[in-house]
Amino acid sequence: MTGTRFEPAADPADTTKAILNILSDFSEEKERLQGTQRAFLNILEDSSAERQRLEAAQKAALNILEDFSDERAKLAEGQGAVLNILEDFSAEKVRLEAMQKAVLNILEDIDTEKSKVERINSEMAREIAERKQAEEALRQAKAGADAANRELEAFSYSVAHDLRAPLRSIDGFSQALLEDCAGKIDDEGKVFLNNVRESAQQMAQLIDDLLGLSRVSRAELRQTRLDLAKIARTVLARLQRDYPDRRVELVIPDKVAAVGDERLLGVVLENLLGNAWKFTSKRERACIEFGQRVETDRVVYFVRDNGAGFNMAYSQKLFGVFQRLHSANEFEGTGIGLATVQRIIHRHGGRVWTDAAVGRGATFFFTLEERV
Amino acid sequence: MKERAFLLVEDNPMDEALTLRALKKHNIANNVVVAHDGVEALDYLFGEGAHAGRNTEDPPAVVLLDLKLPKIDGLEVLKRIRANEKTRLLPVVILTSSKEQRDLLEGYNSGANSYVRKPVEFTEFAEAVRNLGLYWLVLNELPPATGETS
Repeated sequence: MTGTRFEPAADPADTTKAILNILSDFSEEKERLQGTQRAFLNILEDSSAERQRLEAAQKAALNILEDFSDERAKLAEGQGAVLNILEDFSAEKVRLEAMQKAVLNILEDIDTEKSKVERINSEMAREIAERKQAEEALRQAKAGADAANRELEAFSYSVAHDLRAPLRSIDGFSQALLEDCAGKIDDEGKVFLNNVRESAQQMAQLIDDLLGLSRVSRAELRQTRLDLAKIARTVLARLQRDYPDRRVELVIPDKVAAVGDERLLGVVLENLLGNAWKFTSKRERACIEFGQRVETDRVVYFVRDNGAGFNMAYSQKLFGVFQRLHSANEFEGTGIGLATVQRIIHRHGGRVWTDAAVGRGATFFFTLEERV
Repeated sequence: MKERAFLLVEDNPMDEALTLRALKKHNIANNVVVAHDGVEALDYLFGEGAHAGRNTEDPPAVVLLDLKLPKIDGLEVLKRIRANEKTRLLPVVILTSSKEQRDLLEGYNSGANSYVRKPVEFTEFAEAVRNLGLYWLVLNELPPATGETS
């Protein structure tokens, strides 16, 4: 319509014509409008579908948003948990750090400890090396000692067999001379021959005693419970039988219990009682006592006599091999007996000592396996 | 019947002389055979070597056996005597210088009937020999020997 301008007509016909024209225009316009309206309606219809779609989309979006919200809540929840966890982690971290520190301290300590251990180790290694060396030395020494022992054994065996045979000849043929050629030998000659025999016999005794001493060292120790009083009585009975003229007062308790090697302790008592018997031979009233003295931590056994005794200044020499405190003229003996006694007592882990005075007798004490 | 022999196995001539003297002195064992080492002793007993052809059915009454002997020692001689059927029961007395425990033990283990140590002192020695002679020649009853005729 914007193009159509209304102007008053000069002629009614013209006016009618104009009006008709306008009306025609209007009609056209109406048709256009109707078309437009229809298009609009179409569009509107389309829009409605669109709208529905949009609504659906919006709804979907809302749904999604709603879901998101849930998700967010969940996420928030999760985040809270994570935060909690992180918080926990943090505390844990502090703890871990403290622990790490402690561990580091320990490691440091271990480090110093380790160096200490290393030092000790090297010391030990050195010590082990030294010990090995010592062991090797010991092994060699033992091999040497074993060889020496074997040699000693062979030596003793040879002594036992071979050294006695010539002595038997010396004694035997001296005796043969005395018996078979008695008429041709004067009294002095007989004294000489008897001296020869005596020396041969003395040497045989010496050999026996020395063999006994070496046997004592080599013999295996067989310890049992035994009664020393019984052994002492046996030894003294034998002495009385060998010297029937002697009158000796004996003091021995019924029982003297001990633990030791019966054979070897028999040798000890034979020697000690034999000595007591020998050194009381010049006494009018000889007395020999055997007994024990129970002390707090040990039992001391003793053999006491009222015989010749000796000067205590020499007591240390007494137990040495071939040591004698009396001349052969005074009292016979080989000087091996007490060395044998000492060796046996030492092998039992005990001690032997003495107490004496010249002219007032002697006492020999011994212990077996002293409890220290 | 002829007196049965005394077999003395002894390598030391001095000991041999002393033993024979002691036996003679006590008038025992007139029939003493001496072997100077282990081989000779075994030859005599088994009729071999120098004693080949000897009548082994006539064994000695006793063997006095020294331990230390040349060639074959006393213990080995003893073991061979015990191992042989003919001489298994023959009385053997070890007569030696030592009384070493190992000698005693091995002697008896090998089947010795007796073990006597020669004393150094002659009168003791003579006494020991006399006792041996008396015991083994007079007192002891011998096991029946193979071929015993009495």
